[in-house]
Amino acid sequence: MVASQSQARSSVTSIDDVGLVVDADSHLTESVDDLYPYMDDRDEGIKQLIKLSEIPFSDIFSITAPTPIFPDGQDEGTADVDLWSGANDIEGKHDLMDEYGIDHSIVNPTLVAVVNTVNNSRIARALVSAYNRYLIDNFADSDRISNIMVVAPHEPNRAAEEIDEWADEDSVVGVLIPPAGLVPAAGDRRYDPIYEAAQRHDLPVHYHSNTGAVHRSFPMQHNWSQTYAEEHAIMHPFTHMWNLSSLLFNGTPERFPDVEFVFNEAGIGWIPYMTWRLDDHYLELPHDVPVLEKLPSEYISDQFYFTTQPLGHTARDGRHIAQIIEMIGPDSVMYSADLPHPDFDLPAELFDRIRSQFDDEAVEKIMGKNAADLFGIEA
Amino acid sequence: MSRSPTEHRVPNADRLDEDGARITVDVDGQEITVFRYDGEYYAVLNFCVHQAGPLCEGRLTGRMTTDEDGWEWTYDDEEKHVVCPWHGWKFDITDGTNVSDSRYVVPTYDVEKRDGELYIVR
Ligand code: FES
Repeated sequence: MVASQSQARSSVTSIDDVGLVVDADSHLTESVDDLYPYMDDRDEGIKQLIKLSEIPFSDIFSITAPTPIFPDGQDEGTADVDLWSGANDIEGKHDLMDEYGIDHSIVNPTLVAVVNTVNNSRIARALVSAYNRYLIDNFADSDRISNIMVVAPHEPNRAAEEIDEWADEDSVVGVLIPPAGLVPAAGDRRYDPIYEAAQRHDLPVHYHSNTGAVHRSFPMQHNWSQTYAEEHAIMHPFTHMWNLSSLLFNGTPERFPDVEFVFNEAGIGWIPYMTWRLDDHYLELPHDVPVLEKLPSEYISDQFYFTTQPLGHTARDGRHIAQIIEMIGPDSVMYSADLPHPDFDLPAELFDRIRSQFDDEAVEKIMGKNAADLFGIEA
Repeated sequence: MSRSPTEHRVPNADRLDEDGARITVDVDGQEITVFRYDGEYYAVLNFCVHQAGPLCEGRLTGRMTTDEDGWEWTYDDEEKHVVCPWHGWKFDITDGTNVSDSRYVVPTYDVEKRDGELYIVR
């Protein structure tokens, strides 16, 4: 694999030697209250409707889990660093990044990432519009932060208009189609206006999996999960496997050859397995996949990226992480921390496992340069 | 060392009397199948490059194609594709290429027709 002759000449010997560390999946911690001021006149009625709700998480959104979501992960009483509130403004983000050795963050939402749990498509559109305004108003003026805008997939033509509205903002480097609870899955042609707009504006499309919304796409699995642990373990990879398969077998990357697709939050162990399956099915069932011109794995290496968090527990042999990255291809993998969420991975968690297994160039790419190239970040 | 190709007569070639007919011949220990398609004859090694299945025992079919946009699916009914009976990989008998990935190719051979007889050139 992996470890090359140049290893002997390696100059990257500690995480401090890495030129640029990019967290390719960082988060804000927006609340509904944060979004109200960003609802403009056209959404005044929607704002009033949301305000009538005592529990927007269940009356507007429909966020649910079998048992509490990471109940001990955000203990404001005892934690040294208040992760959650550390993401409310640029200064808070910078402090967290400094604390953990991250040079640049690509910022995703938290609450509006589960906008697929909002039934009412007007409310969904109003919430993402308000989020995008909140995002640009509060997080556009940092040369260490780049922003992923969000669309509500409920009405794809309106989602495309939303992209047109924000794509020219300098800090906007991608667009999130929330994949959790996305029904039908991401390759359905009804979403083509969103991909057209992303391609027109040269914005990568992100899919960030979330629990809390998966009951929309995997109701049976949700309904019969006894615990959040059980649900969380399978729902992130399930969400991505479904959406990745849908995109490829419906030919989305073939129709939109200039769009890059980024998958966040399910780790990377599942990717070689899924890629092999997709290639195998492409070859064995050619009548079902006439839309593709090459192997799914070739579209994946040409147009798809995956962020690393959560790496999973690799205590048995940390090199396995490097072996997985070798299978995927180091050009397609980007380090992510997921700060400030409670299952975050600090840079060394990945770096220590790949440093001795790749040459300097590959290590730099995985830790930050791939993201810098994809998102146009200047080091 | 190279050797010049040898002609191997196809026994009972008169049974290839209609399109879609086939005869499998043992040529120096290798099975080669001669198909008749559109009045012509095509010889294909009876060996699938996937997992060594008996490719030429599979059925002959057309193939699914799409328009530029990928919306219209059309069945191209030129039945010149043999589907491996083991896992369904599909190859064009006229040139041996896999319909999904042209880097996978099964060997094909010229077929000579002379004096009412067919010869596989190998
Ligand atoms: S051996 Fe022919 S398809 Fe597998």
